[in-house]
Amino acid sequence: MAKRIEAKNLNIYYGKFLAVSDVNFTIQPRSVTAFIGPSGCGKSTVLRTLNRMHEVIAGATVEGDVLLDGDNIYGNGVDPVEVRRTIGMVFQRPNPFPTMSIYDNVVAGLKLGGGRMSKSEMDNVVETSLRSANLWDEVRNRLDKPGSGLSGGQQQRLCIARAIAVKPQVLLMDEPCSALDPISTLAIEDLIQELKSDYTIVIVTHNMQQAARVSERTAFFNLAGIGKPGQMVEIDDTDKIFSNPSDKRTEDYISGRFG
Amino acid sequence: MRDVYHDELDDIGKGVIEMTNLVAVAMERATQALLDANLALAESVMEADKRIDTLRTSLEDRTFQLIAQQQPVATDLRVLISTIHLTADLERMGDLADHVARIARLRFPESAVPEEARDVISQMGQVASSLVTKVAEVVDGRDIALANEIEAEDDSMDALRRKLFTLVLSPNWGRGTEAAIDMTLLGRYYERYADHAVAVARHTIFIVTGKRPER
Repeated sequence: MAKRIEAKNLNIYYGKFLAVSDVNFTIQPRSVTAFIGPSGCGKSTVLRTLNRMHEVIAGATVEGDVLLDGDNIYGNGVDPVEVRRTIGMVFQRPNPFPTMSIYDNVVAGLKLGGGRMSKSEMDNVVETSLRSANLWDEVRNRLDKPGSGLSGGQQQRLCIARAIAVKPQVLLMDEPCSALDPISTLAIEDLIQELKSDYTIVIVTHNMQQAARVSERTAFFNLAGIGKPGQMVEIDDTDKIFSNPSDKRTEDYISGRFG
Repeated sequence: MRDVYHDELDDIGKGVIEMTNLVAVAMERATQALLDANLALAESVMEADKRIDTLRTSLEDRTFQLIAQQQPVATDLRVLISTIHLTADLERMGDLADHVARIARLRFPESAVPEEARDVISQMGQVASSLVTKVAEVVDGRDIALANEIEAEDDSMDALRRKLFTLVLSPNWGRGTEAAIDMTLLGRYYERYADHAVAVARHTIFIVTGKRPER
């Protein structure tokens, strides 16, 4: 079910401002790719174009193609809502629906989809998703309690369970651990390693050690200058990026030599 | 914080250069002490080796600290991991100079080197000195072209060692077992010294290119 993602000549705008220019890459199915780079370089913006979340901002537009196993998600007649179901997203701050129970949080996406499911089918999805998110053992006896009662790390895993309940093919993660403590962070990183066997994962992170630990490929984004658009400097095997990157700008960034 | 890190990284690099210079002086003086049967000079080499050992320990400790605190990557990481390796080689080079000085002291007031071996030993000292001067330049300037010359020079050290062997094993050797053992050990010390110098050059190639040099 995991799919390959290709970005071709992506130009991403906020109104008339070109925020990111000419991004091209291919991401293989069942792999983890990390996007790193300084704030404002456009890595989250690029991530959001991969499931058509960018265009929900007023005036925001995209030029170029994003192909999912060869099919352009920006093609004519493609339903963005369907795209977002296929390509799930987990955000920086855990955002469970606060008044909903843990159970209802997990099935929220399924219910929005409008499909009818029996109680036992739903129970099954909840258990499978929570198990995949490594949360089942911690919440199995309190599924009817509100999601907001969980710790930050548990809430983030609940959001991951919610994202995978609809069986997406790609999982996008925008700094999923930046609001979490080191133990919850490691739990999420372990989870990413397990999810990799079923999903194509793209993760934006400011934590370079995290990128080095969890990903197979790393893309480095940078700003060409103040007021200039962000760009992808290089994408390569993570081992290479962190041991002997091809581009001097990458080396300067990962070694902490900025400006 | 990051400036402090880069300053410390530069400083560790300077420490490695200092160590290289110290082991160069050590072997030069040890050879001199050996050929001139100069006890005071031999003892000064042995005394100076303590400074080399202390420097190595301190560089290793500081490298550990930086790795633990700064999570270095890419070139920085190669510099630090290689520092651990090459300070071990340099420390060993200091020890070998110390061993040469000890033979000079042991035989004092006689010269440890019989007349017929003087020439070979003196040449070994010169090759060692020339090698380590190049190594110092490689370490300081990270000049990897020079690193390749070092390998060639190491071959001439091996040839000198064989020459020394031939001398000692010849039926005409008339200096007895003790002197034969001294010559064998000295040959070994100089040859090992050159080998460690080559290793230091190799680690420097790795720092610069990120690739291990072919053997």
